[in-house]
Amino acid sequence: MRQGFFRRNATMLVVLGLIAVLGVIGWTTMGQQPFVRTTLSGLTIGALYFMVASGLTLIFGLMDVLNFAHGTMFMLGAYLGWQFYTNPTFLFGLFPLIFALLAGLVTSPILRSTFMSLKVSEKSQKSIQTVVALAGIALIVLAVRGLDILGLAKTAMVATMNMGNPLAEASAQEPLAIFWFRPVLMFIAGLLLATASARPGDRTQVVYASDKRQAWIISSSLLVLTVIATLLRESAPNAVLMWNGNLRFFAALAVGALCGAGLSAAVEVSLIRPLYVRPLYQVIVTLGLAYVLREIIQVLWDPLAYQMTRPPMFSQPGKAENILAWFSGQNLTVDVLGVTFPSYRLFIIVLGILMVIGLGVLMNYTRLGMIIRAGVQDRTMVEALGINVRKVFTIVFMLGAGLAALGGIGAAPFIPVQPNMGDAFQLQAFIVVVIGGMGSYSGAAIGALLLGLARAFGDYLALKFSLSPAIAEASTVIIMAIVLLVRPAGLFGKKE
Amino acid sequence: MDNILEINGIHTYIGQFHILEGVSVIVRRNAITVMLGRNGAGKTTTLKSILGLTPPREGTVIYNGKEIQGRRAYDIANLGIGYVPEHRAIFRNLSVMENLKIAERKKGDLEGKSEFIFGLFPDLKRLYRLPGNHLSGGQQQMLAVARALVADNKLLLIDEPSEGLAPILIEQMMEAIRILSASTTVLLVEQNFVMASKLAEYYYILDDGRTVHEGKMADLVEDKELIHQFLGTALQKGGRA
Repeated sequence: MRQGFFRRNATMLVVLGLIAVLGVIGWTTMGQQPFVRTTLSGLTIGALYFMVASGLTLIFGLMDVLNFAHGTMFMLGAYLGWQFYTNPTFLFGLFPLIFALLAGLVTSPILRSTFMSLKVSEKSQKSIQTVVALAGIALIVLAVRGLDILGLAKTAMVATMNMGNPLAEASAQEPLAIFWFRPVLMFIAGLLLATASARPGDRTQVVYASDKRQAWIISSSLLVLTVIATLLRESAPNAVLMWNGNLRFFAALAVGALCGAGLSAAVEVSLIRPLYVRPLYQVIVTLGLAYVLREIIQVLWDPLAYQMTRPPMFSQPGKAENILAWFSGQNLTVDVLGVTFPSYRLFIIVLGILMVIGLGVLMNYTRLGMIIRAGVQDRTMVEALGINVRKVFTIVFMLGAGLAALGGIGAAPFIPVQPNMGDAFQLQAFIVVVIGGMGSYSGAAIGALLLGLARAFGDYLALKFSLSPAIAEASTVIIMAIVLLVRPAGLFGKKE
Repeated sequence: MDNILEINGIHTYIGQFHILEGVSVIVRRNAITVMLGRNGAGKTTTLKSILGLTPPREGTVIYNGKEIQGRRAYDIANLGIGYVPEHRAIFRNLSVMENLKIAERKKGDLEGKSEFIFGLFPDLKRLYRLPGNHLSGGQQQMLAVARALVADNKLLLIDEPSEGLAPILIEQMMEAIRILSASTTVLLVEQNFVMASKLAEYYYILDDGRTVHEGKMADLVEDKELIHQFLGTALQKGGRA
């Protein structure tokens, strides 16, 4: 068995050994302080890469979906977390609208069975879809911005940081009787979009009774959520603002991750799921979604860059002598092996390590993990055993997006929060996935570690020898090229 | 009801190809039924159509008196239908234990069945902790059959269990199928005519996506002309085994 262990983990051991050898060389040639500092920043970047790449690789491995909207989830998480941490009023005004829209969207299977038998000529099918979809989008715009045009209400907003946003201003102070129109309009918009995606008149579609039942349940629970969110939209943010900063920060991590997961569940069910038979369309849908979400973010928050302040526990002035001292002092920086390093970045490293361990436990020791590993290889056979693979798909999609969103909030205190902040991470995450092998979670962990370190040491070398900083960016691509030459399927990829 | 499964004139498309053009098969409870026919006759597609992996567009599939066509594959499997696909589609990156464990429909399925499974395939007990890709072809085939036995299945769809096996392993596999058929109904697809004729009680012959002949195996063995007409190549292959 011992021998088997080494043979099975040969790649992992070789890569870790290489990193160790390079580390010893680095330590001796660079000197302790620069080496430790560079390694720590490499680990910070690597941790963030892992949070984006782990979801990407699972989604691709299990469902063959190249999710180009994954970096957007990272960005979205950052916005949501930052907004929740600084001032959640705007978010709580947004929740009822989103829940209402989703409640409408998920009715697609119900509408499909109703409308598919309509007698519509094939030509007009497409135009009906387009018109209905456009009407839905118009209603969304009306619900978010347009009520002012109808002269219903607009009063100034008392809360701080509203950034001159019509929705924030209106939703915070609108009388309930008027605010109700917004979620109702959103629900109708969702219904229209669902009608468009149900392709009225197309009889070749298959409707499963189980999908209809599920749609009823999800839609009605979302409607209940809409009502609750509408009623709480003023009292909830005030309560949150009373919490202390640390609690609010950890709540922001949770809220951002949950919102990211919830949103992508809706995306998977409404946009990705109908297209499993047409993989190329899925790529286009996720690409389009990335652009649309980014534009929505720009409309809601204006195309500016925001900076999230660090939570109090990482921002007390002064330096902690060691990590134990930080626990009592909660200082801004910590002394690690003679290097002064920001305590918040150490937190990110710890978060990354916890996530590697957590995902490892999930993948190797739970039934869900077993199903995911089996599904990466042969999802048809998993379904033939009596397992609802589609449900697993949705869960993995949620999990991946939740992790990416969590990474986004984690990064928000040291990366400007702006609409394109996810792009670089998505690109690097794709490289991580290719290096690690599509669908391999341990490959993503090793790949993220490699790329993070390569970036940090590349930056160090560029600075030291006054080379172009592009060297650091190129280094990741060079690593990918070398790995692909040696192992075309990636380090832990399937051999076929 | 003595028919556990009735397939009535199903038509199945894969992409735009019309693969099944009216297949009708009846599977009698507690007997082994075999589907014979040349390569590409539609045998595998028929199994997949029963399970909903390639849902039929026309016709009915009746299992225990209920129409099941148009339901999702996992839903159909959960009615108590086990599937052993061709080419030993085991999960190679999972251990033998996990390959069996994943087939559980409720906790404790595997514990309850492990004695029966190890009795049929003693090798699997020795290999229990190894990953699936360390198994030989014959061992993988046994694992694939064993996996279908973990849950409480009333009907097993077994696709070409003898394919690529050494003669001694074919003997072992036949013995295993014979034993398990005492407690489960089996619908078998088999190219090896010798094996099929020894195991099965009823046969159906498929040709070009249609059922062209059916009856009792005992009668077919006598009818050399019919065998030659529809199973020419299959017979030769079986003859060698």
